Amino acid sequence: MSAAIANPEAPDEPAAAAQPPREGEGRREVRGGRGRKRRSKRSTLLTVGMLAAAAYFLLPLFWLVVASTKSTGDLFSTFGLWFAGHNNLFTNLGNTFTQDGGAFTVWFGNSLLYAVASAVGGTFLAALGGYGFAKYRFRGNQAMFMGVLGAMAVPATALAIPIYLLFSQIGLTDTPWAIILPSMAIHPFGLYFMRVYTDSAVPDSLIESGRIDGAGDFRIFFQVTGRLLTPALATVFLFMLVSTWNNYFLPLIMLNDPDLYPVTVGLANWQGQASSSGGASGDYVPLVITGSLVSIFPLIIAFLFLQRYWTTGLVSGSVKQ
Amino acid sequence: MNPRFRRRTGLGAALAAPLAFAACARPPVDPPEHVSEAEIAAAMRTPTELNFWTWVPGIEKQVALFEEAYPDVKVDVVNAAQGAGHYAKIRTALRAGRGAPDVAQVEYQLIPSFSITNHLLDLRPYGAGELEDQFVDWVWAQVTGPGGEVWAIPQDTGPMGMLYRADLFEAHGIEVPETWDAFADAARTLHAADPEAYLTNFPPSQGPYFAGALWQAGADPFGGSEGPDLHVDVTSADAKRVTDYWAGLVAEGVVSTDPDFSDQWYQAANRGKYATWLTAAWGPVFLQSTAASTSGKWRAAPLPQWEPGAQAAGNWGGSTSAVFNQTAHPIQAAVFAQFINTDPECTKAMATEQFLFPPTKALLEDPEFTGLELEFYGGQRVNEVFAQISETVSPDFQWSPFQDQVYADYGATVGTAVAEGADTDAALAAWQDRITEYARLQGFTVVGNEEGS
Repeated sequence: MSAAIANPEAPDEPAAAAQPPREGEGRREVRGGRGRKRRSKRSTLLTVGMLAAAAYFLLPLFWLVVASTKSTGDLFSTFGLWFAGHNNLFTNLGNTFTQDGGAFTVWFGNSLLYAVASAVGGTFLAALGGYGFAKYRFRGNQAMFMGVLGAMAVPATALAIPIYLLFSQIGLTDTPWAIILPSMAIHPFGLYFMRVYTDSAVPDSLIESGRIDGAGDFRIFFQVTGRLLTPALATVFLFMLVSTWNNYFLPLIMLNDPDLYPVTVGLANWQGQASSSGGASGDYVPLVITGSLVSIFPLIIAFLFLQRYWTTGLVSGSVKQ
Repeated sequence: MNPRFRRRTGLGAALAAPLAFAACARPPVDPPEHVSEAEIAAAMRTPTELNFWTWVPGIEKQVALFEEAYPDVKVDVVNAAQGAGHYAKIRTALRAGRGAPDVAQVEYQLIPSFSITNHLLDLRPYGAGELEDQFVDWVWAQVTGPGGEVWAIPQDTGPMGMLYRADLFEAHGIEVPETWDAFADAARTLHAADPEAYLTNFPPSQGPYFAGALWQAGADPFGGSEGPDLHVDVTSADAKRVTDYWAGLVAEGVVSTDPDFSDQWYQAANRGKYATWLTAAWGPVFLQSTAASTSGKWRAAPLPQWEPGAQAAGNWGGSTSAVFNQTAHPIQAAVFAQFINTDPECTKAMATEQFLFPPTKALLEDPEFTGLELEFYGGQRVNEVFAQISETVSPDFQWSPFQDQVYADYGATVGTAVAEGADTDAALAAWQDRITEYARLQGFTVVGNEEGS
């Protein structure tokens, strides 16, 4: 979108082109290979393939790190994938957080609020719904679930304008609710995933034994099955966190007040200023790049933190099957 | 994106287009025949809050001057997005019938897309009719409708010229070309002398640039369109001359075809790969900060001409301030749009501090503006060069009501063909067909060229 910012996807085109054939070769080798040689050959090719894939995914990230250490002049005149002579990272960081009266900090806080609130709310709703679909038999269960599946085919961006029209009628545009409420419900994937997971992870006999012990439906949901669903809850939480964090179009049309912008809209705004007529508006180019780098850290932290919940096999031994 | 030009994005076209004929939720205000001075004075003393959406950096300065002159009217500036995102936001709010801005920045090529959906307020009754003399003729033609309506007040423009590397020209004995023939010869000379260098770069998917090139060549593809009758003629002899010329140079290999405003392009501009940049009046200041390492080596000149001795130019970019007819404060909004774009102090600050190229005659003749010497251009008075170019832009150039789509189709047909040095006649015909088909789907009656498509 920006004139001034290099396309981070551009440098890894060679890697992208190189990767699929390698994978293909690997597969052919495995099938064609014979005897003892097969194993070692396969693992070498697999390793190379995985390394290529890793390079493919890490290269844009590497570009971002490198670019964050450069001044505007260096960005436009030095090789994109290696560091310039001097390190400008700390100046860039300082400017990013102080430009426009600390606007970036405000956006960052907003993004955190929107992403966490909608991920918590959305995960809770998805867990309730998924559990209901999986464990209760009621009229229309199948039909409604088909509806959920169908809704997954509708891109969230396509719903942004209808949602705006709705929110405009109830006067909630230009408020945090305009982002949090739709983001909780806009991704049916969470519901679908929770249903499938509940189906396989929670044995009916466990619920029955809960009932025999005199627990009500809500107690069973929260205290018995809730624990079993932790890996799925972590997955859905992360999924919703990432999608709300990255959402650009919904906040763009919903919000007018700069103090409510999330990082995506704020950075796009700076990016526009950056390519506005030649620096008349200040030196925004390094700010956009450094801001982008900073804005991926919460997601990385969330991944590392939630990883420990991805433990399966919690249910083994709890009931006899 | 740059306030003075905009590259299309798929999203913008996709969102803008289907709404072209959408009905709006609130019936538009019928403007009165004439608003008296007394009514305007009374309205300007009524405490009011206006919403103004723009992406011009530093516009707060003009807003402050306005609020100083009219202390009862407060202006709330919203800068949410540039280009496609900005228009998508406006269209969504217009459809909802509430939440749209009172005044917004609208680029020239977008005006028809808002006037055809009946969302703009005709500013004539509010005194805009009398402003005609203050603006350059061709600019005024851009903001007026077929019935004489004044749809917007011009803010800045981008008459096109040529920025060239004086040092490279001198090193290879190249004279500043005054005709496109001389330009082609210079391209061959330069590339033969230095295979790494190109006289210029043809950006393959830069629709707005190509529109400017058509404008200079005298083509007016949508000229004569009015309301639901759309004239489409992109295959005229004038258009063919432009595409044949560029495809020829690309086929010879003496002109490069990098996408502009990309990392590659910035690097190349710093490296001296391009000896000229065919650009608009906002280009000089833009280049100054993005190719800082080449300071002092550039100069500005008018575009080469198709006819020897002629003086013609096109325009690329620029914006206006338009008022939407859903506003609850039409008088205040109209006065605001006029004030920030005509008040001497406001416009001078725009031209000399925000570096927006002015559309007003007063500034284009102001020695303080034209006399500005830019070090990056070896002390040349670049504004003077472009002020003279501005006088040579033809007033006969009309936009389609879905210019985003036209640009998208351009990139897929003509832009690609030129960049490959391929058959441009077929590409122009394909462009014509795509525009025609799209226009029909949108409900326009298409009046085409010879075959009447």
